[in-house]
This record gives sequence, structure tokens and C-alpha cells, in this order.
Amino acid sequence: MRRGAAIGATVRRLYRSVFRTGWPRTKPQRLQAMLSSLVLHVHPTRVRVGVLRPSYTLGLGLASFFLFVSLTATGLALMLYYVPHPVAAYRSMKDLEHAVAFGMFLRNSHRWAAHGMVAVVFLHMCRVFFTGAYKPPREFNWVVGVVLMLLTLALSFTGYLLPWDQLAYWAITVGTAIVAHFPVLGPQVRYLLLGGNEIGQAALLRFYVLHCLVLPLAMAALVALHFWRVRKDGGLSAPAHASQRRVTAWPHLVLRELVVLVAVLATVNVAALLFDAPLEAVADATRTPNPAKAPWYFLGLQELVHYGAILGGVVVPTALVVALVVLPYVDTHPRGVGVWFARERRAANAVFAAVAHALVAVTVIGTFFRGPNWAFVVPWAR
Amino acid sequence: MTDHPPDASGEVAPAARRRAVVAWLGTGSLVAGAAGLLAAMARSVVPEVLYEPARRFPVGRPADFPPASVTFVAERRLFVFNTQDGFYAVSAVCTHLGCNVNHEEGEKGFACPCHGSAFFEDGRVRKGPAAWPLPRFAIALSRRGELVVDTRRTVGPEFRLKA
Repeated sequence: MRRGAAIGATVRRLYRSVFRTGWPRTKPQRLQAMLSSLVLHVHPTRVRVGVLRPSYTLGLGLASFFLFVSLTATGLALMLYYVPHPVAAYRSMKDLEHAVAFGMFLRNSHRWAAHGMVAVVFLHMCRVFFTGAYKPPREFNWVVGVVLMLLTLALSFTGYLLPWDQLAYWAITVGTAIVAHFPVLGPQVRYLLLGGNEIGQAALLRFYVLHCLVLPLAMAALVALHFWRVRKDGGLSAPAHASQRRVTAWPHLVLRELVVLVAVLATVNVAALLFDAPLEAVADATRTPNPAKAPWYFLGLQELVHYGAILGGVVVPTALVVALVVLPYVDTHPRGVGVWFARERRAANAVFAAVAHALVAVTVIGTFFRGPNWAFVVPWAR
Repeated sequence: MTDHPPDASGEVAPAARRRAVVAWLGTGSLVAGAAGLLAAMARSVVPEVLYEPARRFPVGRPADFPPASVTFVAERRLFVFNTQDGFYAVSAVCTHLGCNVNHEEGEKGFACPCHGSAFFEDGRVRKGPAAWPLPRFAIALSRRGELVVDTRRTVGPEFRLKA
């Protein structure tokens, strides 16, 4: 009996050496919980009730973050088998599919989470726009968010080359040719990106380093800045007349975040179990597939590029990014913040919705309505 | 640490001047060192040696190309035409965004599978989005009797090699 008590005391002491406070029960302990944990201290101790409504944020920013975390984890596992060399890369994809325990599942998970992240980041931006949350004092954080979205696309793009299959090879051929169309430094940037004139060993290694190291580190740093600025800019946006009633972040906020985490992981896992990530034939520089299509989130761009490389590949994307960056510094009127589709912001919302719908429309056209030689086809007629 | 304010005559105390010089030297070396390191790293990103195929290469003997034929030399991404007037070579890399164009026998031209550009057999644009013609490369007969294409040199539409 005495020995049992002694072991119990030791276990308690070990536990206390890691977690200095116990499970929060009283209100002071709940406030303390946010301050005494490295992971949790990004939160405020108390949050306004208004921002906890799921219908306000839809949890989209958080879902993007959890997708990034999940991608980091599965990406690390994939790195143990992937070899960034033109001869070995495609073989290591085959190994992952057939010779690695849960290799296919990990690859599926990585692929679908990446697609999901592009979609969720886009939806998160739409949410922030339609609730007017980009207005001062949050204008800089909106710009950080725009850069994070571009990083998400860059990570998707660099990841696309790595399997070294036909889809990868020709998507990167088209993508880097678009880069070369940029005035002044375009061809030089393409040369640096590929480490030469052709897509080969040097290009694959550069994309690999960007995808596995440079871009994720930049992403992690900017995500930290993004979160920190949410706090420093006064928490999530809310209408001026909103209730100032606050509740403790533990458990109200933490519990909701866990729900988002579970939903994200469950969705990714189910998708990874049901659908296999495609892998086409090994890259072949002598045979362009017909039609050659980029990943779906670039098919809108490819559709625009069909009308002219400079217009679709340079003018439109540049104009969109510049407009997004400038937006919060031009549209500074504080009315309509913190409300979905505020009446006072009807014009701004209509313009944004029109542009967003146009982007979705060209993406749908590029995905479903384009056949061989990029001719117009109807998907239901075979 | 004590400050060394200017004395009555307006002179800065020697110790303060010495410290200011050391501070400037320290800051300067730090900036110079960091800038040099960054410049070296940035420069190293530009490759010095490319392990890429040669830009001038043989594609075969004239007899390998039947009269009035179009041959796709896949590994070099170009087409070799053998016409009544002689040989000429056209790039197969679409000038729009770099896909390989396909030769369409019936159309007497090329079609790009990526974005729908079309070209005439001499490389001129028939239909956009491509804005520039497919380049025609210089082609010559080597002393060993092989057709040699030089992709660094482009030639006009009237170019033909009699061989």
C-alpha cells in the first residue's frame, strides 16, 4: 500500500514537471490555462461571445491551419521514401503506392489535404471579405493573408512536379512558360527556377527544396505572424455595437477548435481512404498529352492563358493580386464590419462576388469544357 | 559606464571618439559580412554549368528522311521536312507556353494540345493564342554526311538545304 502511494506521488510529480497546472476547473484556473501552455498561449484568456458563433467564421482559417499541419506531418513521412531525381522520382512514387506500408494512404492524404487547403484558403478569404474583416486596423493582416494564399499556391505548384509523371511534367512546362512571359525579368526568373533552360534534374531538385524546406518555413513564419496580428489587431472582427460579453477561452474556444480539427482530419482521412491520388505515365518530354491540363486550381489560369499568354498569365493574375493588396488601404470605411453581406457594403460585396464567380467559372470551363487541342467540349457528350 | 560629454572647449573626449569609431567599425563589418554572405548565396543560385543536351546535333542522314515527308525527331523536339526544294527544320515547342505541337497531316500544319494554337507548316501562326511563329533552325550537311541542326541559329522561311 505504501509502495502504491509512493509510485502515485512520483507519477504526479512527473506530470507536474510537464504540466505545472492541473486540469482547469475553477474560473481562475481556466484563465490561467491559456497563459501556462506554449500551445494555448496564442489564445486570449477570454473571448467575446460573438466571434464564437460557427456561422460567423465557419472555422475556415483554422481549417486552413490544420490542413497545413496535417500536410507537414504526411509530407515528412513521404520524404523518407521520395528521391528527387528524374530516374528515381517516379519509381519512388510507385514504391509509395505498392511497397510502403500505408504509402498509398499517406500520398492520398497529402494530395487531398493539399487540394483542400487551396479551396479552404480561398473560402477563408471570401469569408473575411464578405464580413468586412479586412478593414483597419486589420489591413496589414489581410496583406499577410494574401501572401499566405500565394504561398499555398506556390507549395501546390512545386509539389506538382515531384511525382515526375506526365501531368507533373507538362503542368510545370506550362507554368514556367507563363513565368517567362513576365516582362523584364521573366526569362531570368524561369532560368533560376529551373536551374537551366529545360525541366530536368536541376529543376526537380530546386522544386523539391522549395517545396520541402523554403516555402513551408516561410509559411510557418507568416502563419505565426498572421495569428499574432489577430491578437494585436484586437481579436476577430465584430460589429461596433456587438455584445462585449466575454467567456473564458477554456473551454469555449478550445472546444470549438477541437471540433474543427476533428472535422478536418476526418474529412481528409475519409477522402484518402475512398479516392486514390492519380499518377499518370512517367514524364516524357517528347509526348505532350492531349489535352495537357494543369491541376484544377490552375485550370482557370490555363483557360485565361488560352486567350493570350500575356493577358491570362501576367496581366490578369498581377491585377488581381495588386487589387487584393491595395484593397484594405483604399476601402477603409468602418461601416459594415463584422456582419455577413452588410447592407452598407453591397457594392463592394457585389464586385468581389462577381470576380470570385468569374474565377470559379473559368476554372469550371477549363476543367470540364475543354477537350483535345483545348477545343470546347460538353462534358456529358462523349 | 560614464558618458564623455564635450568639455568646455567643445572637444569630444578621446575615449568617446574611440568608442564611436569602434562602434562604426563593428557595425560596418557586420553589414559587410552579412551582405557578402548573402551575395555569395544569391550568386550561387545561378548555375555555371548546365548538364543539358547540346544545342547543335546530328539528326540523321538525308536518306533517312523519305522524299516529301515530315519527321518528328522526338528527343530533339523538332520536325524535319524533306521537300522537293530541300530540307528544313521547325521547332516542335509551341511559342505560347512550351508544349509539343502535333503535325496534322490533313491540315498541312501543327496543332498545340495545351491551349489550341495552330501553325502552318513553315511555322507561321495560323491561330492564336501563340503570338510568335515556331522558329526554323539552321540545318547543314556535315562532312560525315549527316544533317546537323543548330538550334542557336534561326533562319527565314525561304531556307532549304539541298542534300
